Amino acid sequence: MIEMFQAWYENRHAYAKEWKEKTGGKVLGYFCTPIPEEIVYAALILPVRILDHHEPPSLGRDGLFCRDSLAPGLQDRYDYLDGILISPSCPQIRQAFTRRPGPVFLPSNFCLTPPHQVRNSQADPAAELSEFKKTIEDWTGKAITDADLDRGIEILDEGHRLLGRAFETRKQDNPPLTGLEAMYLSLTEQWIDKREHNRVLKDVLEKELPTRDLRLGDQIRLMILGSEDDDTEFVTMVESLEAKFVIDDHCSGTRYFWNEVIPAEDRLAAIAARYVDRPPSPAKDWPLRRRLDHLLKLAKDWRAQGAIIIQQKFCDPQELDILALRQALDGVGVPSLFLELDVAVPVSQVKIRVEAFLEMLRPEDLF
Amino acid sequence: MVTAGVDVGAKTIKIIILRNGRIIGQTIIPAGYDVRESMKAAWADVLSKAGVQLNQIDRIISTGAGRKEVAEANDQITEVSAVARGAIALDPRIRTVVDVGAEEGRAIQINAVGQVLDFAINEKCAAGTGAFTEAMARALEVTIDQLGPLSLRSTKAVAMNAQCAVFAESELVTLVHSKTSKPDMARAVHDAIADRIVSLVRRVGMEKEVLLVGGVARNVGFVESLKRELDTEIFIPETPETVSAYGAALLATGK
Repeated sequence: MIEMFQAWYENRHAYAKEWKEKTGGKVLGYFCTPIPEEIVYAALILPVRILDHHEPPSLGRDGLFCRDSLAPGLQDRYDYLDGILISPSCPQIRQAFTRRPGPVFLPSNFCLTPPHQVRNSQADPAAELSEFKKTIEDWTGKAITDADLDRGIEILDEGHRLLGRAFETRKQDNPPLTGLEAMYLSLTEQWIDKREHNRVLKDVLEKELPTRDLRLGDQIRLMILGSEDDDTEFVTMVESLEAKFVIDDHCSGTRYFWNEVIPAEDRLAAIAARYVDRPPSPAKDWPLRRRLDHLLKLAKDWRAQGAIIIQQKFCDPQELDILALRQALDGVGVPSLFLELDVAVPVSQVKIRVEAFLEMLRPEDLF
Repeated sequence: MVTAGVDVGAKTIKIIILRNGRIIGQTIIPAGYDVRESMKAAWADVLSKAGVQLNQIDRIISTGAGRKEVAEANDQITEVSAVARGAIALDPRIRTVVDVGAEEGRAIQINAVGQVLDFAINEKCAAGTGAFTEAMARALEVTIDQLGPLSLRSTKAVAMNAQCAVFAESELVTLVHSKTSKPDMARAVHDAIADRIVSLVRRVGMEKEVLLVGGVARNVGFVESLKRELDTEIFIPETPETVSAYGAALLATGK
């Protein structure tokens, strides 16, 4: 059952095409996660996150995440999309969206400014969502009712709860999930119809994980931190070195599913509040600065012995936070390894650094 | 107890044999394309110098980029841990190790027993390593051994702006056309390498004393640039290339 998630990960484009054929529904691609999928599901649209493909740059430029996300579009890998949604999380992603040559993605394109900051008496985070809801209604030709919104909220919330339960199992000394498998779980939730994803994940939680013994008890417990990350090759390499990732802070990982919508009469306000309150990325952490406390709590609760910070090259918000992050982790006795990665990673070169870090974490093995 | 440390680097293979912690034989030979053949030659040389047979060595630890190629090794460690152990054995005052080899530059912070507290390694680019000096020596039409002393005759600091080792060669051509003197260009090359290495040192935090190891430690021009940038005395062992192998051999003793 758990192998299903890897199969989905490897065949996500085929899945989306089949879904579209089977249901006749629309597929909406999106770049970054602060987009209200609750509203998208309310309209019975399949949201599909656009990520990089970890291949050497094919468009004549270096491997920036935003370019590597654009490249598959230019290569027609996303030819099943009916539209694309962007929330401007960073200028680079916004430019990748606006500078695309011709109709890279199919012609319906939406730009949403998500609520992500302090609420005050003048702010109305739900207003943007109300406008977005109307845009989707115009696009589909169908009104979205409160019952539809409730359905969308419950689909998302159930998925987030199930992922939360799966990640809780990684607190154990001998977790029943590897870091790679956990990555497959959270990534595929951003591509697969969540109703199907939730069903399979529930089965895995109830029938498979309780009896799984991966014998990971003696391995070094690591935390992985970064922006968007689906670098399965990197995670596989690290976990081949008698270490295991027990928790992450990625927008494609725990930040994606960490919190739920708190039910309220005003559904849009409740959805907006969920996105305001979710664990912040470094691009959205000012001025409240909640991120560091959240990360230290993750490290403590999941008993991380070390942290690997994977910096996506040219991601300035992440990079500018690295010093504060390393100092904070150091302050609680969690050494960290900082790696700057392109979208295509020279694994053998990076492996040496990881091996040296693991030796540093276990000096008793050497002395 | 007889132990050996084998460091298979990008350019050279270094082996050190210890008896009860003291060096009884060492060798450095080019790694070449066929590392296994080179290993045979290295073993033949060092065993002869040490006066022991291979089967008389109690424990062998390998390190370096090619450490997995050492079939005789009982264990492998990274060069970061190996050089840290070697450094503290050479001088117990050392707390920062700067290791600049053919393809990698590293800065390592260590404690009083040679354990690694933090480290930084150059990311993806060889512009702060021996490979860069070789390329620049070729561009300046001097040998690698002449490059260092040449730079000491410089009368003026000239900035090199290129971020990349390959583009730096183009930049040297531009400097040649602008009639910059060879000593000044040579110094610019070493200052550029020192800049990159110093950024690694600052990442881990410099604590005195500082030990410089690796093949590039023999380059007097680079040493001068590094001292200038770090504004501190730098210690260099007699054979800076073999410190990792030495550390590996010491760790093989279990101490």
